[in-house]
Order: sequence, then structure tokens, then C-alpha cells
Amino acid sequence: MAIATVPGAGIDVGSQAPAPVDPRRARRNRRLKDNLTGYAFLIGAVICFAFFSWYPMVRGVVMSFQRTRAGETTWVGWDNYERIINDPSFWTAWQNTLYFTVLALVAGYAIPFFLAVLLNEFRHAKGYLRILIYLPVMLPPASALFLFKYLAYDPSDAGLFNSILKGLGLPTSQWMQSTDMTMPAMVLASTWMNMGGAVLIYLASLQNIPGELYEAAELDGAGLWRRITNVTIPQTKLILSLMAMLQVVATMQLFIEPLILANGAGSEDSATSVVYLIYQHGFFQNDLNGAAALGVIMLVALIGFSAVYARLNAQQD
Amino acid sequence: MSVPHFRKVAAIALATGLGLGLAACSTKSDDDTDAAGKTIITVDCQPVGAQKNLLQAWNDDVKAFEAANPTIKIKSVSVGTQCANPPDFTARLQGGSMTDVFYGYMTDVQQVIDSGQAMDITAYANKDNIPNWDDVLGDAKNTFTKDGKVWGIPTKNYSMGLVYNKTLFTKAGLDPKSPPKTWAEVREAAKKISALGDGIAGFGEYSSGNTGGWHFTAEIYSQGGALVTADGKKADFNNDMGKKVLQNLKDMRYGDNSMGARQLLGWGDLLTIAGAGKVGMFVGAPDATTAIVTQFQGKYEDWAMGAMPGQDGAAKGTLGGGEGYFFKKGLTDDQVKAGLKWLAFEKLTVGKGQFDYARAKAQGEQVGLPQPQLFTPGSTSQKAEFEQRKANGNISPDDFAAFENNPVTIKFEPANAQGIYAILDGAMSAILTNPNANVDAELKKAEEKVNQLLAQAAK
Amino acid sequence: MAHQSETRSLVSFAQLQRGRGKVIYWTLLTVVVIAFTLVFIGPLYWMITGALKSSPELAQTPPTLWPADPQPENYSDAWERLDLAKLLFNTFYYAVGALVFQLVLDTAAAYALSKLRPKLGNLILGMMLATLMIPAMVLIIPQYVTVIDLPILHISLIDSPFSIWLPAVANAFNIFLLKRFFDSIPEDLMSAARMDGAGSMRTLWSIVLPISRPILGVVSIFAVTAVWKDFLWPKLVMPSPETRTISVGIYAFSGGTPQNVVVAAAVIAAIPTIVFFLIFQRSIMSGLTAGGLKE
Repeated sequence: MAIATVPGAGIDVGSQAPAPVDPRRARRNRRLKDNLTGYAFLIGAVICFAFFSWYPMVRGVVMSFQRTRAGETTWVGWDNYERIINDPSFWTAWQNTLYFTVLALVAGYAIPFFLAVLLNEFRHAKGYLRILIYLPVMLPPASALFLFKYLAYDPSDAGLFNSILKGLGLPTSQWMQSTDMTMPAMVLASTWMNMGGAVLIYLASLQNIPGELYEAAELDGAGLWRRITNVTIPQTKLILSLMAMLQVVATMQLFIEPLILANGAGSEDSATSVVYLIYQHGFFQNDLNGAAALGVIMLVALIGFSAVYARLNAQQD
Repeated sequence: MSVPHFRKVAAIALATGLGLGLAACSTKSDDDTDAAGKTIITVDCQPVGAQKNLLQAWNDDVKAFEAANPTIKIKSVSVGTQCANPPDFTARLQGGSMTDVFYGYMTDVQQVIDSGQAMDITAYANKDNIPNWDDVLGDAKNTFTKDGKVWGIPTKNYSMGLVYNKTLFTKAGLDPKSPPKTWAEVREAAKKISALGDGIAGFGEYSSGNTGGWHFTAEIYSQGGALVTADGKKADFNNDMGKKVLQNLKDMRYGDNSMGARQLLGWGDLLTIAGAGKVGMFVGAPDATTAIVTQFQGKYEDWAMGAMPGQDGAAKGTLGGGEGYFFKKGLTDDQVKAGLKWLAFEKLTVGKGQFDYARAKAQGEQVGLPQPQLFTPGSTSQKAEFEQRKANGNISPDDFAAFENNPVTIKFEPANAQGIYAILDGAMSAILTNPNANVDAELKKAEEKVNQLLAQAAK
Repeated sequence: MAHQSETRSLVSFAQLQRGRGKVIYWTLLTVVVIAFTLVFIGPLYWMITGALKSSPELAQTPPTLWPADPQPENYSDAWERLDLAKLLFNTFYYAVGALVFQLVLDTAAAYALSKLRPKLGNLILGMMLATLMIPAMVLIIPQYVTVIDLPILHISLIDSPFSIWLPAVANAFNIFLLKRFFDSIPEDLMSAARMDGAGSMRTLWSIVLPISRPILGVVSIFAVTAVWKDFLWPKLVMPSPETRTISVGIYAFSGGTPQNVVVAAAVIAAIPTIVFFLIFQRSIMSGLTAGGLKE
């Protein structure tokens, strides 16, 4: 996933400090002017939202029930959905995407947190380590992925990884050519190029933990592990749970990794993701309506996920 | 807060809103004539900067053409090395951002018609606009004709054969003058070549980016099979012939281990390996050798070509393909005529444009490839082209003799080819990367998918 | 860079300065520094040297640590063939444009929503925030169709930088970050300015924006990184070679270019941002971690 900063708690949309002590009419006048100026300030962003966010949302749903051929558009009911769901790659794509999401959650969520806790203890070389971990984030994604594709994941022993494995006397892998390794290999590349953002965010929240809490825990005889579970994790819970959410939504959109690393579908469809399937339908099979229907299905799935997540979170609190 | 302030803000906001529109409009140039009254046409697939000689030749041709036709102005647009790379081509077509005269593969015809963006040029495609139109190969013209309407002009036509590395053949103790004629011989030769070691593969094959399905098609044609039934409604490859295609590959890949470790290859991947001299044979068109040299750091003297291998004896067919140009909807009468005139000059005149063999030879390019096979055998144009090719040829006639002297029936790609190819990539990748893949199961899976795709397309 | 010592973390500072703690600390630090260098710099080294190898050497087993016969022409080849200068310029141009549009329009919107609060403000904010739940990829097809033929105006933004700049403005997350920051600006400051007769524009310009530098920094980083990292959207709306971004350009050319030249292009493409990052790393890092995080 890309870098994401997390807003703190306290999402208040409306309320504001009490009004100043103007006379009533002046205030009403000001209100009117503020209203007009307000809209004037808003209009640019609103136009952009209208054209590129709100309208496409409606358009997506409408399109998914239509079909356009040679410039003529007709209503076709559930045809597009039927076709998409019956696409033999449909369930494979979902399976792959969910598998990637779970793997990426383990790797891209636990590892950065562990690294952040570790880095936070160091009193030296801090700047150096942070720069290093953030460096891959700055690479253009295509650069990083071609590095993995051509130089690291080469299935012959000419590849970086295989020659290391061989040097260590371990069995080599077929990487992207093996249906079993496709997903782990994509997660590895994706984690390498994206985890810097998460580590920095965790680091920042770790630094906000008051030192007295650790002091007190230590006085109570808490060992290292107990201090992590009793102080570190509870104190960063909010960030942790928000990052989990963002991570899941980001990884569900998996696209460039399969496109570059696996030339799209990969060995026996093992790399096909839902977004890749959208792309395949829209631009290889010339079926934008089917692709839009798949987009709507994905939207419903993600909203469902968010709802479940919100409910779980509410129950926990 | 003062009123002038409010106005200023509103003005800025509005200007942003409107300015976008204006600026966006100005990026499109839809002019059909310039100030001097010249007819302007935009044409794509100008060679890219890396193809120095080709680009030079194209630009010179544009100058010469404009000098000979003072009322026409050509604006060239380059769209990459692969001019109709499927997703980009689709995006341009959907977005209506093609040039006035735009390049496409023979496989793209149906898609171009469906998009509603192209022009029916039946009334213009004749001897008046293209002097040697009657000499152009009927089969090639037919691929651009649907229901009696002409949608495009063919500019290249090729058929596939077996491209092989002479140097590796010699090293492996094979005769570089007699390439394998059957799939069994290919298998034997591949075994010997891969025995050279050093990461050399005997036979190379595609399995991604739709190229796997493309080659599967060529190979099933060689068996005498087809991709779809004659009515185009059902898949027709889940049979003995399809099985043989996959079984041949499976035997080479895992039985003999003669196809190298690298699989899931796309177009450039295999040619990179070929350029590095690490593959002995692969199925391809004659100009694959050009690409290996001009784009992939290979050497001309390494490469030669034989006929498509068959299962027992000569191949029963081979895949033909090609390219051509379409016309964007809404062009003026003058623009269409100017476009046809340009195509006639650059792509269909013997001794000019792509047939300017003398120039290509002077530039050090390979001359003598048995393509673009655009003219009917025996026609005036074909004879003239053959003479000039022979006069200027700079490759050893032997290199392509095995290909040219053993002509194989050419079959073209079916409708919806790109969608079918994408599906067949799955079967090819399974056979080439999974030692436990089952030929029957893979064919059945692909058949179901293709049937579904065709049912959908027929709606 | 050891100014953090006053606030203790998991392990107390004192513990790390004596006996066993000290040994463990230094061992661990050394291991981590070496491991990080290998994991994060190693691949870059491999990439830079890999691009110097010839095609046969790249396919050789086992691989060479240093190219036996370095071919610097792979780099010049990549530069010329892919027209990297053009691609880098395009990417830069789109990123800067997206930044300017977002800074101007999103700041104005957030300011209106936070301080001017027109009647329908909350409704608009709600509708904007609703889009947060919808990942970009889900809308890619209808968005693409919209850009091809903009409703009402009926113009196509294909191959026009506006097709990247304008959708970038529709970024609820940035508006939300800005609004929240503006909310925290004390109302006293605002009314004081108003008493002095400053209009909304001037208040924004001379009071709000100067205080908001940190959050503007964060939004800027997000805006630029988003364009830099985006792939599918620019791939769709910029189909011509002259308008491509660097990532899309490298991908597009990878099909028709030998692998070593592709890798060389990948290296060249990475240089500008790495240099940019190393120069501004301090502000980027602090921006990333400071903004929006404080409770």
C-alpha cells in the first residue's frame, strides 16, 4: 500500500466555538456573505467531486445494466452481472485477491510494527535506518517491480534470490512460474516497496507513548514482552486498527504487481486479481459494461467489509 | 468582507472551472485544412526514435510525398514500438483519440467496427485512389471487409514458420540448412541444442500477454485444426489436434527439459533471450529476425527460418496475420482520399516506402525477407516486388529458402482473437510451468471459457 | 541524532549503557544496520550493475557480482529509446499541476467548510467523506468513460493533463485533513482578523495559511506521491507515448526492449526521486510523521 497518514480521533464535522459578540443584524449579514463566499470557495472542489467522483459512482451502476455496441446503448438488465459471475476467472480472481490481502496483512502489518518497535529502541543510526526503510517507497513502482521481475525472481539460477538460496544450500524456487509461490512472491515485492510508510507512522505513534507508563510497568515487575502487550500495543491500538483497515482496502486493489511481475494472469491464473479482471474485461475483451459491473460488485464487497469492521470495532470498545 | 473580494473569488473559481474546458479543447486538433487550404491528415505508427533508420525513412517519405502532393499535409504520430498493443489500442479507440488514419492488426477489425469510431471506406477503396489495388492479395483485403463493407487497407501480411539460430544448430551438430520439418524433429533438435548447456533452451514458447494463445493458434493450424468452428460460435480446439499441440510442448518442457527454465514469456521476453543467443528455435514470422537485431541486440548472421513444422510430414496450415490502416469516422472526402494516397505511396508502391529496398539496403537494414506478402502471386506488382527484392537482397537466400520453398496454407485469425488468446494463455502457462498440469483438463477449461466468450460476443 | 534520550521507551536508556544490556544493544544495532543495508541498498546495487551487463551475461548462471564486461551504452540506449527525459518531465508536470490544483481548490474548500460554513456545508462535507470508503480502482471504468466524454461539456480529456489534475482534486482525505487542522485554529484569531476588517480571502491568506504550513506540507507530499505512484489511471488516460508517465512509459516499452535496457531505464527513472528524497528527507520524514497524527 501507499503511504497513508492516519487522522487522529475526534472526527467532529460540525460544532464550532461560540460566536463573537456582534449585534444581531450584523451577524445575519455576515452569515449571508459567509454563505456566498463559502460557496465560492467550495465550487472548484465541488465541481471536481461532481465530475470525477459522484457522477462516476452513479454512472458505474447505470453502466452495469447497459450495453454499448457501435455507439448504441441499450438496457440489458442483469446480463452483465451474469456474464461476469460466470466468467471462469471470477472466483479465482477473488480467491487470489483475498489470499494476497491476508498474506499482505501478515507481512505488511506485523513486520512494520515489529520493525518500528525495534527501531524506536535505537539511540544511534536512527536517521540512516529510517531513510533506508523509506527509500523503496520513493522508487517509481515500475522500477521496483522490474527489479524483482528480471533480476530477483528469475527462475533459472541466474536470478538473485535463487543464487542466494543455492549459495546457502537451500532448494531454489520457480518464483512467479510456480502457482504456489506467485502470491508470496508478489507480497514480498509489495511489502519491500511499500512498508516504509507504515513503519514511519508506527514510529511516530510510538514516540507519543509517555515514558512513565513503561517506568511504572517496569516497577511492577513487567518484563519486556509484558511491557509490549500491556503498554505498547494498547497505547497504539487506534493507529493499529486504522492501519489494518487502510491496508486491507489498499491490498484489495492489487493490480500493478500481477501486471508487471506475472505479465497479468501469471501461471494458470494464479496472479489474476479482481482489478486485473476489470482491466482484462474493459480493455482486452472490449467489454466496459461487464467491467463496470465487476466494479460495482467490488464496491459492494468493500462496503460490506467496512461495515463488518466498524461493527467489530464498536463491539470491542 | 467586501463585495469586490467576493467577486474576485467567484471569478477565480469560475475561471478554473471553465478554463479547464477551454484548455482541454485546445489540446485536440481536429482541423481538416490549414490556413493555406491544404488537406491535413494525422497518421500514426510512425517509427519510434530508437528505430533510427526506419524513422529517417518515414520522415523522408513524408517530405517526398508532400512535395509530390502540395495540397496534402501529413502529421505523423508515434504510438510506440508495438503500434496496436491491445490495451492501449482499446483505450485510444474507446477514447476516440486515434489519428485520422490509424493503424491496427487484422485481429482488430471487429473491435474497430464495434467501437463505431471507424469509417466505411467501401466507396473509396478502388483503383482511382490506390492504383495497384487489384494486385493486392484478396485474402488480405478480405480480412478488412465485413458484410461487403471495406473498413481498412492492408499494409502487411505475414505467415508464421520456424525461426532458428544457425549458430546454435551448428554447435549442436545439426545441419543449419535443413531445419526440422515435423514436431518430432523439433523435439529431437531441441534436445540436442539444450544439451549445449550454459542456460540455452532448445525451443522457446510464449505463454503470457496473449502471445501464448497466439502461438497455440499457429500450432493447432499446423495440425490441421482450428480455433473455433466454421460458424464462429463454439471453440473447436478441445480435440486430438489441440491435445497434440500441448502434449508436444509438455514433452519438451518436462519430458526432455529442453525449453529452458524461463517461462511465462511475453513478446519481448522471448526476443530478449533470442537476442542473447540463448534459444535455438521458436515459432515466428520472418520479421522476428528484424526485431531480434534492431531491438534486442542480436545478430543477423545467427538467424534463419524454416517452414512451420507439422505433426507427421508438412504442416497442414499456418497462422497468417497482418496489419493495416483504418479511417476515423467523420473525415472529409478530401481527407480520406489524401489518406489513401499516402497509404498507396508509403505501403503499396513497389520501390517506394516500405518497398524501397535500395534505401533499406543502403541503410544496412535486412533486405530479402519473404514478406510483407501483400500482392497476389503472378500479378504485376508481385513480380516487380520480387525482382527488386532479389536485386537488393543482402541476406543469404538460403536463410529463408526452407520457409519460402515450402509454402503452407495460410489461415487467418478468427473474430474475437484477442479475447480467445487471453484464455489460451492460461492453458499454455499451465503446461509450461506446472509439471503436473493435465493436457485434457486444461483444454476443457479453456474450451468452456471460450464458448462463454463467444456466446457473449454473439449477443 | 540522539535527542530522544529524555523520553524513555520500551527499554530504559540506563539499561542499555551498562553490562549485558550494552552488549546486546550494540550487537542488535550492528545486525540491524547491516541487514537493512543489504535489504534496502543491496537490490539497488543489483539493479544498477544488472543494467550494465550484456544480455548473455544477464542470463548467465551463476550471476556475476560485478559486470564482467560493463556496457554503459545500455543506459544511453534506455535514455534515448524510451525518451526518458520526456517521461520524467511529464510525470513532474502532472505531479506539480496536481499539487497546485489540490493546494488551491482543496484548501479553499476546507477553509469554507471549517470557517465559513455555508448552509449546505455539512451536506457537502458528508458527500465528500462518503467517497473515502470507495477505493479508486472500483470507479476506474465509469471514471474513464467520464473523462472520454465529459458530461454537459462533451469534451474528451484523454491525453490532457487535466485528466490527472482534476480527479486529484476530488480527494476527500486531504480535504478532511485540512479541515480538521483549520478547525483547531482558535476562533479568537479569526474574529480578531475580522474586527480589523479583513475579508475571508485575506484571513485565509495571512492568518490561516501561515499557521497551517505543517499540514500543507503533508498534503503536498501526499499529492505528489499519489501522482508519482499511480499507474492504471495514467495508463488509461494517457495512451500516447508523448503524454505517458515514467512508470507507464517503462512498462509500455518493456515489451519491445531487452531486459537489461529496461532495468537501465528503471534505474534512471529512480534517480530523480531518490535525489529529491535525500535532499528533503528531513522535512518529508517529519511531515509524514507529524501531520495528522497528533491526537
